[in-house]
Amino acid sequence: MPLIAAANLRKTYRLGRVDVPVLRGVEISVEPGEFVAILGASGSGKSTLLHLLGALDRPDRGDPAPSIRYRDEELVGRSASTLDQYRTTQVGFVFQFYHLLPELTTLENVLLGAMIAQGRLRFTASRAEHVRHATNLLERVGLGHRLRHRPTELSGGERQRAALARALMNAPPLVLADEPTGNLDRVTGAKILDLFSEMHRQGQTIVVVTHDEATAERAQRVLRLVDGQMVKA
Amino acid sequence: MYHALLTRKYLTTKIMPLLASLAVMLCTGMVIVVWSVMGGFLRHLVDSGRSLVGDVVVDWPNVGFPHYDELIRRLEARPEIEAASPAIVSYALCVLPDGRKEMVMIRGIDGASFERVTGFDRALYWKPTTEPARRDTKREDPRLNPQYAGVLNNVFEAGRTLTVPAPGGVRVPAVVPGIEVTGYSRRSPLGFYSTGFGRLSPPDAAGGERWGEVFTPKDVSLTLHCVPVDSKGNILDVVSRTFPVANEFQTGVYEVDRKTVLVEFAELQRLLKMDAAGAIDAATRPGTVGVGPDGRESFVLPNVVGVSPARATTVYVRGKGEVGNAEELKAIVTEVYTKFAVDHPDAPAAGIIGIGTWRDQNRMMIAAVEKETGLVLILFSFISVTAVFLVLAIFWSMVAEKTKDIGILRALGASRSGVAWLWIRYGLAIGVVGALGGGTLAYFVVTNINEIHEWIGQTTGTFVWDPRVYYFSEIPARFKWFDASIVVVAGVLSSGIGAFVPALRAARLDPVRALRFE
Repeated sequence: MPLIAAANLRKTYRLGRVDVPVLRGVEISVEPGEFVAILGASGSGKSTLLHLLGALDRPDRGDPAPSIRYRDEELVGRSASTLDQYRTTQVGFVFQFYHLLPELTTLENVLLGAMIAQGRLRFTASRAEHVRHATNLLERVGLGHRLRHRPTELSGGERQRAALARALMNAPPLVLADEPTGNLDRVTGAKILDLFSEMHRQGQTIVVVTHDEATAERAQRVLRLVDGQMVKA
Repeated sequence: MYHALLTRKYLTTKIMPLLASLAVMLCTGMVIVVWSVMGGFLRHLVDSGRSLVGDVVVDWPNVGFPHYDELIRRLEARPEIEAASPAIVSYALCVLPDGRKEMVMIRGIDGASFERVTGFDRALYWKPTTEPARRDTKREDPRLNPQYAGVLNNVFEAGRTLTVPAPGGVRVPAVVPGIEVTGYSRRSPLGFYSTGFGRLSPPDAAGGERWGEVFTPKDVSLTLHCVPVDSKGNILDVVSRTFPVANEFQTGVYEVDRKTVLVEFAELQRLLKMDAAGAIDAATRPGTVGVGPDGRESFVLPNVVGVSPARATTVYVRGKGEVGNAEELKAIVTEVYTKFAVDHPDAPAAGIIGIGTWRDQNRMMIAAVEKETGLVLILFSFISVTAVFLVLAIFWSMVAEKTKDIGILRALGASRSGVAWLWIRYGLAIGVVGALGGGTLAYFVVTNINEIHEWIGQTTGTFVWDPRVYYFSEIPARFKWFDASIVVVAGVLSSGIGAFVPALRAARLDPVRALRFE
């Protein structure tokens, strides 16, 4: 059974008076432990697809009805709180521009996911354990010496590694990465991809969207998104 | 948990929330200071008003009631009552040495018992003192001068007894006018009174006048023209009497200090024909003509058939302990008077005699100041509503600035309500910081308001609180913790309200758009 499978995904954005269709009935299926790259040019709808898979956005209704099944559960049409819970516990996001909170230290940024997932009482009760786990993750991505630094004090590569650690904080079965190397130089980007490969080897399911062929090549399977539709690579 | 972390971080790393806190602090502090000053002003007025009436007043104006001394004995026998004192309250035309004529309220008081009821000695102005007025840094108040201590002690004693020494070693009745009555005592901008240069006689036939330095208790006599009323309420002929001034009193309430003259009780009683006198047979009232043993007509001497008891118009009563129980005291006085009236049918019935608290006596004045206090508070509260909009405006722009953060939180699984609560909590935190800061600031200002006023005055040369206008030498501020707590809580809630709309906006943000926000 696939970890996540989507069908008939359509999404249209309205720009002024013009409707711009971004996704036109996309289908995708990702097996547990797979490392999938979705390759597409800028504006092809790959980020939109990632947002739909991560329940940050909802697909357009239509016929045939859109479907996003996570494990055996349909996500389309579920309540906001169910989708919040899904994002908290099942999905880890990695963004092109890192999206770390600038006021928080590296460690606090990583802990943030656990704080949201656990709630005040549970987090406080096992705070030391969470801090230890977050520290381990940051050491794993090579930031053990940067725990108390703010994002502005980190390099681009370090920020992305911190974002990766944050994505893994709640041990989500699925990691969704949006152009994770898009804002990094080639060498730094390669190091990030090494981390992805290592995670994949340890059984992590990863979906990466990218416009970069080299990045896509690091994946186990490559899908192409052209004009809002999935084509075989 | 993330709410607490982010609230703390946002509060400590941004200038905008500090500005919002500052706005809340200033608004909260302003309202507390205004409330404290107006409250202190009211309290001062009430205390000043009480200084001449005690806690409860039994009053039968003009005519007066008999057996008041027995009523006083009965009242003082009650454990709840500290003391009671008789008085006569009437009106007189007061003629000043320079010929000016003023309508004044005259109060006949018994110095010793009046002091026990009202603390009258404190109100006597001319007496030696060691504490200068706050602004009198050079100690220019003549009462501070040890050289005058002997004179002032004599004048003080004269004021207490309402008598002055006369040749032959006797003391003669005197009056104690309010310090604004004669106009001879001049109030200095520094907050104390001193002797004044004034006219001491009206122009004579040749147009000559006598001018000089006037120390009212030594140089001034007042002539009172008053109208006695007999026990039946009949108006008798006008009587006049000139009294030396023994001292002056100051309550701090202009209307009282301007329009009241205190006279020795027994003397005023005699003057107004309210003292004890023989009661005559109506058939032999003065002017009755009869035929004598010699067969000639002649006036018949009145036939004295008893005694018409002395009368007082008023009895002032002071309760034991705090005056907060004035209403209870009034009930006790009413109970005592009811029995008294049953035993004395010639006294006014309990249902018609006036028995009121000091608050009842000063109802108009207190009500006016209370309304002014309420009005000023409402006005300042309206002004403080700007803090709500300030917080709203600041939060609105902060939500815009933090749009991406909101998107990140939503991506990490934060719910809409969680994001909304983050901002409301943030607003409340700003309110707590600002309101507590405002409360602290207000406490500092209120407890040092006169020093601050003094410093501003000396620095800028402008004294906002002019004692010549307000008749208080100091700003009568009074910090009340309960009132301040109300304002602080209101400040916190206002900030929460100000944050509410931006919080809703944050919660409704589309997370995808928020993440793409640049």
